[in-house]
Amino acid sequence: MSVSSLLGLFREEAPRLKSTFRQIYAVVWANLMIFFSYKYSVITDLLSMAASIFMYFFMGLQVDPTQLSSRGYGQSYIAFALVGVATSQYLWICLSRLSHIIQHDIRGGTLETVAVTQIKMGVYFIGQTIRGYLISLISLFGTFAVGLFALGVTLQINVYTIATTVTTFLLMIVANQAIGFMTAGIVMVYKRGDPITFILAGLNEFLSGVLYPLELLQQFPIVYWMARMFPYTYALDAMRKSLIGGATILSPDVYFDLTMLIIFSVVLLPIGLKVLQRGYNVIRKNGTMATY
Amino acid sequence: MNAIEVLSLTKRFQRKDDGKKRPFAAVDSIDLAVEEGELFGLLGPNGAGKTTLIKMLCTLILPDEGRALVNGFDIVKEAEKVRASIGWLHGETGGRALYWRLSARDNLRFYASLQNVPPDFAEKRIDALLDFFDMTEEASTLVKDFSTGMKVKVMLARTLLPNPPILMMDEPTVGLDAATAVETRKLLKALSTDLGRTILFTSHNMFEVERLCTRIAIMNSGKIVAIDTPLRLSEITKEIKAVEVRISEIADAKILDLFQGFEGVQKVVKTEIGEDYSLIQVQVEDEQKAIATLPEFLQEKGLNVISIQRALPTLEDVYMKLTRKST
Repeated sequence: MSVSSLLGLFREEAPRLKSTFRQIYAVVWANLMIFFSYKYSVITDLLSMAASIFMYFFMGLQVDPTQLSSRGYGQSYIAFALVGVATSQYLWICLSRLSHIIQHDIRGGTLETVAVTQIKMGVYFIGQTIRGYLISLISLFGTFAVGLFALGVTLQINVYTIATTVTTFLLMIVANQAIGFMTAGIVMVYKRGDPITFILAGLNEFLSGVLYPLELLQQFPIVYWMARMFPYTYALDAMRKSLIGGATILSPDVYFDLTMLIIFSVVLLPIGLKVLQRGYNVIRKNGTMATY
Repeated sequence: MNAIEVLSLTKRFQRKDDGKKRPFAAVDSIDLAVEEGELFGLLGPNGAGKTTLIKMLCTLILPDEGRALVNGFDIVKEAEKVRASIGWLHGETGGRALYWRLSARDNLRFYASLQNVPPDFAEKRIDALLDFFDMTEEASTLVKDFSTGMKVKVMLARTLLPNPPILMMDEPTVGLDAATAVETRKLLKALSTDLGRTILFTSHNMFEVERLCTRIAIMNSGKIVAIDTPLRLSEITKEIKAVEVRISEIADAKILDLFQGFEGVQKVVKTEIGEDYSLIQVQVEDEQKAIATLPEFLQEKGLNVISIQRALPTLEDVYMKLTRKST
């Protein structure tokens, strides 16, 4: 094509089609394409997920079921572990996905090229976060499928328990994503944030009781009370009581857990957004939006 | 009307010096006005502040002091409107700032969505730009498999795609092959003259800046040390005395050394080698004396002088003079 033909095309003014939905869709779609371009990584992720479920199944054979039943979690350790393992992937995604992708964008220079377009950075970050949630759905449903169909785990599945679990799950995402916004804001400024998010997510996963009932920690009061400071602790408790014990939103224990999650969300979300915004302004001030 | 207006714009960063952090001004109280439809060149050595200035105008870096308007919008208070008015390319990244695991076409589609270009317009423009940059056959190839030049072509297409009124082109021809660089320069010139797009252009290639730009600013140590048309800037170097000698030999280092033996030679600054001649520019103390006696001196050394004349100053001379003087 010649210069004059190209000019002819550029003479035609195109109206700008402002659509936040289209922008979010573009970010999610592009990142899904990138994820699926790593074919071997997708396969190894799925294999490692299946392997971990089988590992917990055999570990579960060694656990005394009375410890679980006294806490309202039924008598099957594998059912107990299944809920923890399936949802813990989301915990990691909420806490670390955004900080990880921001670091990647800063190193590659893509954060600058996105920042100079007409997408609001908040919308871009939402798109990146949604991509993480969508990919993790594969792991969530895959883990439950392996547990239910390969290992014969029995869960209380009906409209009420599903509604309770989904509500809890969504609140868990909001509360933990708020913490994820904070870590992303810090990582943006200090650049080397992997240790922070790793410690935070690891500690969160360990203390919240992914693999054991929280009450086992009561002999270590400091650790026990630290666990109470993480929203995931309440989310896991409510989802287990619902999916394993059959409890619903109106059951007092679940009701308490949901109330705690709402409080965490209401308090942490504005703080998280503020820290993220502050981090973005600091890198614009310092001129460190790219470090290539 | 001015498309870009800069008033006392300043940006300071911290630099570690002997283990202590010290502030330095990357951009130091700059004033600048670029008219609508102008193709304006920004020249300067590495670290002069060109990229920092452009990034501030693109709202990527917040200024410490001063003010700038792009397309009439304040870069701090109306950053969104500024971004809707500009296209930015940073050629120095060599294609890093693309999504390497997306194809060329998917990269362009992605940015079209972020830039609010309607899908039907986007597809038409993507096809046309890929064709212009001779990338149609590679449209579905992942960017990771491209050479640096091909990545720069995708970046150029991405910058032009939304058809903004103002283009900030920071070294847009770095890494391009000669033919594409020529076509790109033609396109930029036409966008400015025919469609009235304003282009702020930086390059280390003096030749392209001299040929392309209507006005040029030379930056050094965060300041603008000269601003004018290429022709008027050349007058700055009136006091540079140089002669241009054409000899029938192909000049090598040994031949260039022969020139140094002539009395009053300050520098042998450049050579152009043809099939059967060499063109050598020699800075001297006295032009008249050099024109009168240098041919005889060279002939005694066994060289055949075809012609000798006073050398006209180039933008490179201006640039070298100004950036050396102010450091």
